[in-house]
Amino acid sequence: MYQPMLHLHWKQVRLALIPLMVASFGLPLLVVQGMGTVPGLERSTLEAYLIMSQSQFWLPFFPALAGVIGVTLGLSAWNWDHQLNHVYALSLPLRRTEYTMLKMGAGALLAVLPAVALWVGGHVAAASVTLPAELHAYPNELAFRFFLAILLSYALLFTMAAGTVKTTLRICGVLVAFIVLGNIATGVLGEYYTFFARTNVVEVAVTWLMNAPGPFEVFTGNWTLIDV
Amino acid sequence: MNKAIELNGVSWKAGRSFALKDVSLSVPAGSIYGFLGPNGAGKTTTIRLFMGMMKPDSGHIRVLGRDVPRDMKSILTRVGYVPERPHVYPALTVAEQVRYHSSFYKNWDEGWCNELLGSLRLDPERKISRMSKGETGKLLLLLALSQRPELLVLDEPTDGLDPVVRRDVLTAVLDYVSEVSATVFISSHLVHELERFCDWVAVMDDGQLLVELPMQQFKNGIKRLHIADAPESADEAPFTILDRHRANGIGSLETWIVRGWEPPMQYYFDSVGATVRNVMDLDLEEGFVELLRSSRPSHKNGG
Repeated sequence: MYQPMLHLHWKQVRLALIPLMVASFGLPLLVVQGMGTVPGLERSTLEAYLIMSQSQFWLPFFPALAGVIGVTLGLSAWNWDHQLNHVYALSLPLRRTEYTMLKMGAGALLAVLPAVALWVGGHVAAASVTLPAELHAYPNELAFRFFLAILLSYALLFTMAAGTVKTTLRICGVLVAFIVLGNIATGVLGEYYTFFARTNVVEVAVTWLMNAPGPFEVFTGNWTLIDV
Repeated sequence: MNKAIELNGVSWKAGRSFALKDVSLSVPAGSIYGFLGPNGAGKTTTIRLFMGMMKPDSGHIRVLGRDVPRDMKSILTRVGYVPERPHVYPALTVAEQVRYHSSFYKNWDEGWCNELLGSLRLDPERKISRMSKGETGKLLLLLALSQRPELLVLDEPTDGLDPVVRRDVLTAVLDYVSEVSATVFISSHLVHELERFCDWVAVMDDGQLLVELPMQQFKNGIKRLHIADAPESADEAPFTILDRHRANGIGSLETWIVRGWEPPMQYYFDSVGATVRNVMDLDLEEGFVELLRSSRPSHKNGG
């Protein structure tokens, strides 16, 4: 069952996934572009600083690309079932949870492909430059973080897309309501209560989600291919 | 007698516009059961309820002796389903769709599937999105039959198909039934098509089951009678009057369309001083139309 499900998901997503895999392979190469390829050359501390500065420019592209891949995989997982009103899927002899897990598993395995492309690209990029003694390349760690970020965004979109449009709108509505009410609470209640004056609940939530041990830390953490 | 499908007092409501009202039906195992009704009568909704795709608001459903939706997984391994509209993945080829579908069924008959591919003239390499409605219909039937189901549920399987494809589809179904003692539940609004091979018939309209009978009884039971000197009121009649009107609009001769007629009931007319001039059989389509006409509020209100 799993293999046909994997094949089905691959057919659904391949036109979008292949260019994204190419981008995943190419992004580490862009990071090291122009950093010099003379083997065995001693490089100075100044050069190390310049290399670090140059590589910083590309950092936001890694989580962004991982997010796009995750969203693409998540949306494509349910696309055809939505088009067919789930009638075909519901007529198959397996529990809805089993069907969902098979689908989820197929997408998760496909998420490995761009991560592998980035891993290969990272190793090629690392091999193509001579780094100063202070710096090292981390293609394995970068590829692993990339994979986790894809998985997280995929899981989120997969879950949201699994429901009806009404459910998705409800979730979005709750999020928007939380943001609006949180900011209103700070603005209005802050005049009367010191707790609200000092604390913006939206900021607290965002900080918790985006920093360790929050689940989205994988997006905001260290994405450098080259580091000390 | 064993029942392949049993619905007891099933109700289901969708907003204010449509509701199934207290539907009870029982499909004998091994029968070919025709489920008739005009478009929007609730046929597809009924099917989706006993296929476990929707939950009823009230009532009980059993399919192949098991409870719906509790035992749905084991039920669906034994049921072949051809939905009303083509529900297969458009970007797959026929062979890919067959491979995908077969992976869910232990009893999948590969040999017969290949045979059906040939007899239904389906190209395995053809992409589903490029197939005609008829070809997609044949593919859906192939998928359902190759599972070797004990119950075959066909929801308007020949709707919109040309006569050649329609014949192919029905022939494949009948071949299967002749080979395996499967139950076939076939929903349609094409009455004449079901008349030829169904042994049970049920008629649904506006979310209600109007009648459920063996086909022969349904056909024999609905008659057109020509009555001379018909009584004003027929409240005591031992049959159901679906319609009555003056024959050709002249004289005292009336035409009655009745359900539940049997020859000994002639005594009723003798007792009220009327004479039965003629008793005519109605074919299934005429019977179906009269039944629907008599059940609709405009008719009941004399409109």
